[in-house]
Amino acid sequence: MNKQIITASVCLLAALSVAGITGKNFMEVKKPDELRPGPGVTQTKMLSDYFPDIAGTNADSTVYVMEGEQPGGKMLVLGGTHANEPSGYLAAITFVESGKVEQGTVFVIPRTCNSGFTHNDPQEGSPQYYTIQTKGGPRQFRYGSRAANPLDQWPDPDVYVHAASGQRLSGSETRNINRTYPGRPDGTLTEKASYAVRQLIDTEGVNLTFDLHEASPEYPVINATVAHETAMSIASNGMFELQMAGIAMSLEPSPTNLHGLTHRELGDYTDTLPLLMETANASQGRLRGKTNADLVLTGKDKCYVKAQKLGFLYVPYDETGHPIEERVGRHLQGIYEYSKAYSAQYPESPIVYNGLPSYQELFLDADPSELGGTQLGKYLN
Amino acid sequence: MMKKKLAALGLALMLTVSLAACGGGSSAPASSAAPAAPAASEPAGGGEVKGLEGPIAESPILLTSVGQSADVEMVKVMMDKGGLSPETNSLATEADLGDSKTLVLAIGGSSKGLGAAGIDANQELDRVNKLIAAADEKGLTIIALHIGGEARRGDLSDKFVAPSFEKADYAIVVADGNKDGLMSDLASKAGIPMDEVATMADVVEPLKAAFK
Repeated sequence: MNKQIITASVCLLAALSVAGITGKNFMEVKKPDELRPGPGVTQTKMLSDYFPDIAGTNADSTVYVMEGEQPGGKMLVLGGTHANEPSGYLAAITFVESGKVEQGTVFVIPRTCNSGFTHNDPQEGSPQYYTIQTKGGPRQFRYGSRAANPLDQWPDPDVYVHAASGQRLSGSETRNINRTYPGRPDGTLTEKASYAVRQLIDTEGVNLTFDLHEASPEYPVINATVAHETAMSIASNGMFELQMAGIAMSLEPSPTNLHGLTHRELGDYTDTLPLLMETANASQGRLRGKTNADLVLTGKDKCYVKAQKLGFLYVPYDETGHPIEERVGRHLQGIYEYSKAYSAQYPESPIVYNGLPSYQELFLDADPSELGGTQLGKYLN
Repeated sequence: MMKKKLAALGLALMLTVSLAACGGGSSAPASSAAPAAPAASEPAGGGEVKGLEGPIAESPILLTSVGQSADVEMVKVMMDKGGLSPETNSLATEADLGDSKTLVLAIGGSSKGLGAAGIDANQELDRVNKLIAAADEKGLTIIALHIGGEARRGDLSDKFVAPSFEKADYAIVVADGNKDGLMSDLASKAGIPMDEVATMADVVEPLKAAFK
């Protein structure tokens, strides 16, 4: 009897220890990363300021406002639409920490789907965090999920019906914010979050919107910009400049029959000119090998090198990978060229900013040994 | 007892294998959807392809897409920057030729673009074939441009390449898109000059030079 009690007690203690450790970790991932806004940030708001219904929920997110000394156009940068696509998140953070607006106003939301940062995808083996050495020391950033946390929105339907169009998608897409635009004030939590973004655009009169993404190397729309037809002229002029700068990128029109995405619905339902950009992220791909923080930051993966040789990929891939500096640099240079093209076409409302590294500075001129986080860290506080 | 242990071990192994099988999901890429792997750098036909030696084209210019990719927008920007102001119509038909003297074809398939236009690849091919035939009959100069490189190769885009080259008078291609020599071969067969450039940004100069 005594022996059984001892065995049971040991098992109970072990179970409690596991529950304690995992429970602590479970709660910790809900804490947002510490951001260190630079002097360019003139005001901090919340998404719930534009749609109070999401206040106090995991759909709410910080909006950094960067107002220039001179009036001009208004631009919105959406990072972290998908929390497992780090270059969009880190490009938005770099903007907040290093950018300085001269003319116009820039709004930056680093965690557009905030709920997606509070968990990651089961069976993917994704790291919970990755660390970058910055000017202020090592900083941890969350690697999350493509979708909102099921704890925030559950259960998923078998079929997700996009409210505005009637488009039918698989049930899990109901938690993908980039399938829920233009959103609904009385919809799911994710629909409310996208509705809040739309409210921000309408309330502030945002002229130009960027949605920053990544894609797996075997996905056809990669190293690409997708533009709503209203933004196509800006996109093609900006793209020409990107090509002149040696940045290979393709331009895709936003399909009229694919609903719920920023590049379609924000163009259809608001006056903003929406553009979506994609870079190459091995850590979310299906052909990847060992999945860890190193893969997230360097993109070095022998499985993808082999896949490239077999002709399976839509981006070049060799032993140098696709480091985070290349991916963030593409986003930042893209925003720069497209906003410049916008300012040229709409000279009455220009958007001018400085302080951000170019693709050349961030990636091409970098010491190869510093790629994979260290070089990017020089622009983070 | 040993039998029970072996049975339990066997069941555990089966469970492990079944769980691993669940992890792959249905999103693994089909190799057929991927772009064609480079096969050769020489024209398959073995014929020699020369560059353009002098200007052949005149304004007015009609610019259209072949495959509905946004490359047509890029070509428009290039032509505008080169001082050639084309009339642009991604879905141009023979009725749109008007008094045009040159037809410029921006080749590149895009499923997103076809979706945006509300047509499929076969309808696009039908439109383009009729347009090219009408332009050829009217004596227009036809210039084929493939500027999208490797990203505009593969099953969809390749459907649009040959019809664009058949009656063209000149072609400009970005080298990455011609690694297998497909376009060199088509230009050779059509007996037309073709210039291969390194990047999209390099298209402007030969394109400008093609106009009188």
